[in-house]
Amino acid sequence: MVIAIGFEGSANKLGIGIIKDGVVLSNPRHTYITPPGQGFLPKDTARHHREHALSVLQQALDEAKIKPQDIDVICYTKGPGMGAPLVSTALVARTVAQLWKKPIVAVNHCIGHIEMGRLITGSKNPTVLYVSGGNTQVIAYSERCYRIFGETIDIAVGNCLDRFARVLKLSNDPSPGYNIEQLAKQGQKYLELPYVVKGMDVSFSGLLSFIEEKAPELIEKGEYTPADMCFSLQETVFAMLIEITERAMAHCGSQEVLIVGGVGCNKRLQEMMGVMAEERGATLFATDERFCIDNGAMIAQAGWEMFRSGITTEMKDTTCTQRFRTDEVEVTWRK
Amino acid sequence: MGSTTEQSVLLEVSFPYARYAEIAANTLSVDKEPRRGGVSKIISHEGNVLKVVLQSTEARLLRVSANSFLEHLRLVTETMEKFGPPV
Repeated sequence: MVIAIGFEGSANKLGIGIIKDGVVLSNPRHTYITPPGQGFLPKDTARHHREHALSVLQQALDEAKIKPQDIDVICYTKGPGMGAPLVSTALVARTVAQLWKKPIVAVNHCIGHIEMGRLITGSKNPTVLYVSGGNTQVIAYSERCYRIFGETIDIAVGNCLDRFARVLKLSNDPSPGYNIEQLAKQGQKYLELPYVVKGMDVSFSGLLSFIEEKAPELIEKGEYTPADMCFSLQETVFAMLIEITERAMAHCGSQEVLIVGGVGCNKRLQEMMGVMAEERGATLFATDERFCIDNGAMIAQAGWEMFRSGITTEMKDTTCTQRFRTDEVEVTWRK
Repeated sequence: MGSTTEQSVLLEVSFPYARYAEIAANTLSVDKEPRRGGVSKIISHEGNVLKVVLQSTEARLLRVSANSFLEHLRLVTETMEKFGPPV
């Protein structure tokens, strides 16, 4: 029996979760929500994490009904993500690891998403679409490595959605992407947007510039409603993602596809992926907002796998890094 | 600004136990100052006292670095108060 606690704070969510051999005992999270029209900045986000880390930690222990001495390993997000928020969260993880005399494991955030998705859905060897505010990657496992088959060459798909939500001054509560998704349901009229797929990669920055520039005047003139714009944006970017995911599945001969990351709880994306999977005779796996969106349990789960395969991190090496690619990690826990 | 003389800030923080000063030193010395940030940071501990020396040729950089250090230190001490078993 191994109990792992995970500390996640790479973006605007501060999450701490506890996992006991594949069972989520607790997974509280506190989100830094900015006013409409504003994104979250590193310094303010780090302050948010410092202010809430200890109460969220207490909540995680209380809900799991365990004591610090019951924990076997402390896991924290090393990266990728925003530097200052990562460090603030890591400081708490390092301190409790020493106070409670427990080993510590540095976890790659992307690997956390993949391992949590695999745990929750029970998928065995899926092609993974990892879509969030900071990352957009199509990943498949091979030879002890999560290989990146395709990715964004500029901004993440979630960043594209978030920034368009700012143009429309949509609320950031619970998240800008959620509010785009709700508004898009009322969209009727499709506006053609730049569709940029380059081989296995995608690009969203040109599309974003285009829609940022056009949207205010098209809405002003009454030609399109904000709902039409959200609908058009979602249909276009999701179609791009499905295209590269399908190509990766064809290449790997994969019969499973798993969607992870914050954008992964978008029902329309899941629906489109479901259609593609069905046409190929493949199975779609996805999770809900509890596990798709950044959370502590996913870091605990990846750390749990690493720890059981014999990995621990020395205290002096428990640094954080803004850039940390998914394919840099040797996946010692899979065959 | 522009001065080439080295300026420094020395911080000494007492903890209730030597072990806590050691934990704070271990936790806080992991993150290095940015390589070309113009500030050097040396962290040590002696008994129950945590010692920090920040050096730079620019007072402004020292202030930023010291501020950030104190914010981090506060989080570490609060974590100890709330989650540290009595030593």
